[in-house]
Formats: sequence, structure tokens, C-alpha cells
Amino acid sequence: MLKQIEGSRAVAEAVGLCRPEVICAYPISPQTHIVEGCAELIRAGTIQHCEFINVESEFAALSVAIGASAAGARTYTATASQGLLFMAEAVYNAAGLGLPIVMTIGNRAIGAPINIWNDHSDSMALRDAGWIQLHAETNQEAADLHIQAFKLAERLSTPVMVCMDGFILTHAYERIAMPDQAQVDAFLPSYQPRQVLDPADPYSIGAMVGPEAFMEVRYLAHDKLLQALSVIPEIQQEFKEIFGRESGGLFHRYRLEDAETVVVTMGSLAGTVKDMVDERRADGVRIGVITLCSYRPFPLDALRRALQGAAKVIVLEKSLALGFGGVLATDVRMALHGVDTLVHTVIAGLGGRPITRKSLARLFGRVERGELKDPHFLDLDLDLVRREIDNQRNQITAGPIAENILRDIGPRATKVG
Amino acid sequence: MDTPIAECALRLIDEEYFLDDYQGRTPRWCTGCGDNAILAAVQRVCRNEQLPPEKTVFVSGIGCSSRFPHYINSYGFHGLHGRALPVAEGIKLRRPDLHVFVVTGDGDCCSIGAAHWIHALRYNMNMTVLMHDNGIYGLTKNQASPTSPLGLKSKTTPQGTQLEPINPVSVSLGIRNVSFVAQAADWIPDQLQDTIEAAFHHKGLSFVRILQRCPEFLPGRFDPWVQEPDRMLLLHHKDGVGISPDLAKIYRNKEEHDPSNRNRAREIASTYDPMPVGVLYRNPQMPCYEDLRKPDRFYTPAIVKRVLEREFDKFTIHPAE
Repeated sequence: MLKQIEGSRAVAEAVGLCRPEVICAYPISPQTHIVEGCAELIRAGTIQHCEFINVESEFAALSVAIGASAAGARTYTATASQGLLFMAEAVYNAAGLGLPIVMTIGNRAIGAPINIWNDHSDSMALRDAGWIQLHAETNQEAADLHIQAFKLAERLSTPVMVCMDGFILTHAYERIAMPDQAQVDAFLPSYQPRQVLDPADPYSIGAMVGPEAFMEVRYLAHDKLLQALSVIPEIQQEFKEIFGRESGGLFHRYRLEDAETVVVTMGSLAGTVKDMVDERRADGVRIGVITLCSYRPFPLDALRRALQGAAKVIVLEKSLALGFGGVLATDVRMALHGVDTLVHTVIAGLGGRPITRKSLARLFGRVERGELKDPHFLDLDLDLVRREIDNQRNQITAGPIAENILRDIGPRATKVG
Repeated sequence: MDTPIAECALRLIDEEYFLDDYQGRTPRWCTGCGDNAILAAVQRVCRNEQLPPEKTVFVSGIGCSSRFPHYINSYGFHGLHGRALPVAEGIKLRRPDLHVFVVTGDGDCCSIGAAHWIHALRYNMNMTVLMHDNGIYGLTKNQASPTSPLGLKSKTTPQGTQLEPINPVSVSLGIRNVSFVAQAADWIPDQLQDTIEAAFHHKGLSFVRILQRCPEFLPGRFDPWVQEPDRMLLLHHKDGVGISPDLAKIYRNKEEHDPSNRNRAREIASTYDPMPVGVLYRNPQMPCYEDLRKPDRFYTPAIVKRVLEREFDKFTIHPAE
């Protein structure tokens, strides 16, 4: 059924259709509307047989989810940014225990400085924790990925994060084809835990493993994520058979035929990039886009094959490894190692900085002319940066950098373009 | 380590601070928010106590109340959700000479930061903790907090909360080495100011729960007590706070409560109708963490004198040269 609906609400409804049994909630922008939606659906009786608990922190949210999942419940929670970092210890714990929890991340920057807007710093910070990380391009995909996520999590007995861009997706109203309960029930059977507890043979979960076997246990966790590289496309296909649309998978391809330049990106940014690619194609430029859906596991081989014909790759990412450079770009380079392809790292949109068509047009022009230095920071105000560097050198004003920068630019709205 | 020279500068002129000196940025709290009254009371306390803004730190976590440091002209630290108290402890360890205020809320303190709250009371460092309790998450716009009244329908509890609220005053009094617990209300500004002043004067951690109205997300929460002054119980004592004649005309319901009596304090804490305000408990003998630890002081008069002399020596003209 087509609905004009907010992204967060669509996710709440999709989660509801998956018949969750325990939902743990602690509000944090921009995730709040999702758990509010879940609460409302439970009150209305739309979600039945589900315990909704308002916990005291994100750390508690995931910890309660771990307990519930270990006890056999289909368990869901959601968070963002600081909340995800606060629960970091439990994030590793859930993965190590192989608990099929599904968690939405409303991707948001990490402070300091305090910032509630979108980038990918939060989920990137926990990319190596052992969770599958899927990124939604649209709200339709965000809703669909949740339905796939439970199946994926339970088939492999491993937790899954569904990442969606904070505000850009969570707070956007779009037309979405909402699945109906019969379709979801046909796609997603009721939860049958892979790790079962036998009452005749009780034991404690949470073993202490020493040097004699720790590496093997971790290797098996790694191997499980690698298995997901084949399970994710299988589930994408099963989903398509029931719901009739393409959603999820390892990555999406757009106008890759004969493309000399390929933009690799993740999340909602792909929409703007595709518009720009259409524009450049109309001018005869051979350019295409790959939008990664599965960031962990990272599809090294599939990506390598998809990028085979490209002479230039532009990795457009909303994350920055401080003291190093691009995060996604590093993974893409790994996929291309030994191949003679020029890879550009472009860091963009940190803390919600808009990524406009105008900026992308300038960027693509510079790539075409071979003028781009690596790494490139899209729309970075270099004058402002230089003034602050001088300020620090000369100790003109006291205080931290963030406060000085605000003093420098004065009150003004977010600069666009 | 050398003491910064600014720290040693001589005050040639006695400065006097006025209310304006404590005015930070324009508050962006909602109209009618109780936080505005608390800010005004705190600014009056700063003025009365002549606290140098550069010797005063307001530390907060995340929440509506935690925007406080931006709105007062002093040093401030707007940190992570729930972490105001340990940050304040860190500041106090390094700079016991500073006046440290912690501004937190029912979410920040009683929910996500609850572990730190219990242990901060236990450390009993010399600081003033203002816990703005509006019974709701306001910054994220209307979700139940641990102090929300039973049955409250909010966006995360559309069926109503199912648990009794936590009583922050009773919990605080349950910590063995707590040294100061008070309760105040944003709608009785004089008494609020006196209570904050008493908290400031107490040596040790003073915990003040301030009943704070949130007209936006929990309107009417405190209406019975705001509209019927007889439902308020004003605690007074020579070791707590007094009641001015003007206040006594409005609030006739009062009790002389000796704040050294912890058992009576606990009884009072467990009541809410009438709603007690004033100093419930005070134990000036309770040792402070900084006294027990006797940490190295970076700013003892001897060090200050030594550094100053070294600086002055740079400008001394020796007759022989």
C-alpha cells in the first residue's frame, strides 16, 4: 500500500510488521521518532505481543536487548551518534555472543563540538564490532532493509545495524510502498533461534576464552560476516520475489555501462549524485555510480569486478578518519589493490554540511580536468581554517577552536553551496 | 608545573560585580520555562557572593537545563549526556579553588547519569549541584523521564508510565556520606535563591532538587502546588534557610526542621502533598573527598608568591647594570 509517510514512521511500521517481541528505547535525535512510532503502534494494538521498555540510557537499551535476545525474543532497538558510542561495549558484546538483534542507526555526527546533523561518523566508529551494517539510500529502502535485516540476523545469528541518514531520511516524508502483514509473514518466519537453550543442559552464556581458542572464536565471527556476502544477495532475491522490488543487496549500480569514472558512495547522498551523473551523461561524460548497501561485510570482490572498466573512481564519503583521511576510500582502495585505477578521496557533508548539485558539478569538473588533490574536502572554507590557524599561532583569542570559529563566522545560517 | 601568570596577576582595583556581569547569551528556553527563574536566582546568588566569573565554572550534561552554561557569563562546560558530575569532579581535582556548579536534569542525573550521581554524593566534593526536575525529557520533545508522574502519557509511553517516579531527594538521602540535600521550586524565587545560597555556602556536595515547570511538554504538572500556596511546606531553621515576612504571608504552612536530623529529613522527603521546600539535610562535618585525599595544590599562596616574584624579577632594574 502506498503511503505518504515520514521515514522514521515507515521504519517503525516495518519493524512492527516483523513482529518484534522486545523493543528497548532511549530517545536521541534524530532516532527519536522511530521509537516513538513503535510505542504508538504498541498502544494502538498494531504491534501485539511486544514488550516496549523505556530504559535509562543507550547502554541499558542494548544491554536489555542482549538479555532479551539471549532469552529467545526477536529484539529491536534504535539509536544514533553519542548513543551508539555510549553503548559501544554492548555493541561488541552482542556481536561476540552472536545475538540476532536489529538496531537502526539514524546516522549523525559525533561531538565535540556538539552537532545533531547527519554524517556517518557514528556507525563508522563501530564498523569493526562484528555487526552487519546496511545503509539505506531511500526511505523505501530503509523500511525494506529492516524486514530483510531480521531475516539476515536470524539466518546467520548475528546482529544487524540498519543505517539511515539522520534527518535527511529519518525526518523526510516520502511516498513509500508499505508491505502488508501477509507478505512479511510469508517472507519472515517466526523467530527460531539458531543458538538454542536446552533446559536439560543448562549453561551460562558469556564464556571466558583464553589464548588457546580466542583467535578461533574471532575467526569464526569474521567468517560469519563473510558468509553474509552471499546471504545478503540471496535475501535480496527472496525479498524481490515476494515484494516485487529491488531493495538491499551488496550495492546498487547506476549507469555503469561503459563508465570511465565511477562515483562510489553510501546512503541518501546517492540521489543527488545520480542527478548529477544524468547531467554529465547528457554532456557525453561517461560516468556512473555505485551505492554501497552492505558496508560490513565489505564486498571486496564484487566491488573489484564492478569497477573493472573504470579509469577513475571518486569515493564520496561522509566520514573522516582523523589523522589519516577517508574511511570508505580506504576500503575501496583495498578492493582495487594491484589495479591501476585512480582513486579520489572526497570527504563531504560532515556535521550536516549540505552536498549540493552545484558543489558536485564543480567537483566532477575538477576530476575531469585532472585537478583534484587527494584527499579533497568538499566545500571546506579554507580561509576560515587559515584564520584560525593564524589565531592559534599568534594566540589572538583564548578558548577552544570550535568556540573561536563560531566567534569568527558570527551568527549565520548554514551556508549552502 | 608552572602556574599560569594570569592566575597570579594582582588585583589592583577591587572589582564589584553586578547582575549584568553574569549575563551570558540570550536564553533559548521556551516561554514560561522554569529554567529562566533558576538562571535568574543563580545570577543573583553570584552577584550577592561576588563570584568572579573567571573563578566560577558551570558544568552540565545534555538536556534543556544543560544549556545553562551558555546563558551565564562564567566558565562553563557543556559535556556529554549524563556526564556532568564526573567532569565537575575532574575540574575540582585539578582546581579546588574554583566555584563549581553542576546543572543537570532529571534525565541527565537520574537516568543516564544515575551511577555518577550516587558516587558524586559519596565523593562529597565541594560543589553545588542544581538538578532541574521537570519530570519530562524536554530537549527531545516529550518523552517520559524517571521522575515522570505515574500514568503520564508521553511519546514513548502512549499508554502511560507504569512505574512510580524515582524520588531524587530520598535517593540522595540514602547515601551514607551525603552532606547536603535540599528541595526548591522555581515558582518561589526568593526561597529558591536562599536555598541555592545555603547550598553554595555548604562545604561538600550540595544537592538541590529544583521543581521546575515545563509549560511545553508537561503543563500543569505542579499546578496544585503553584495555585494553592497552602499545599507547600516551607522548611526553616537557623542551619537551613529562613522565611521572610513577605513569604510567610503567602506560605502559611511551615515547619521548623533541624537539617541535622536525617531521619526526619527522610520522612519529609517522602511527602509531596504538602510539598516540602527548604534544606532537608546538612552535615558540615562530613569529610570532603579533596580533604581526605589531600591532593597537591597547584595554587597555594607559596606557589603563587614564588611565581609572581619570578615574573617581577624580569622587570626589575638592577642598579649595577
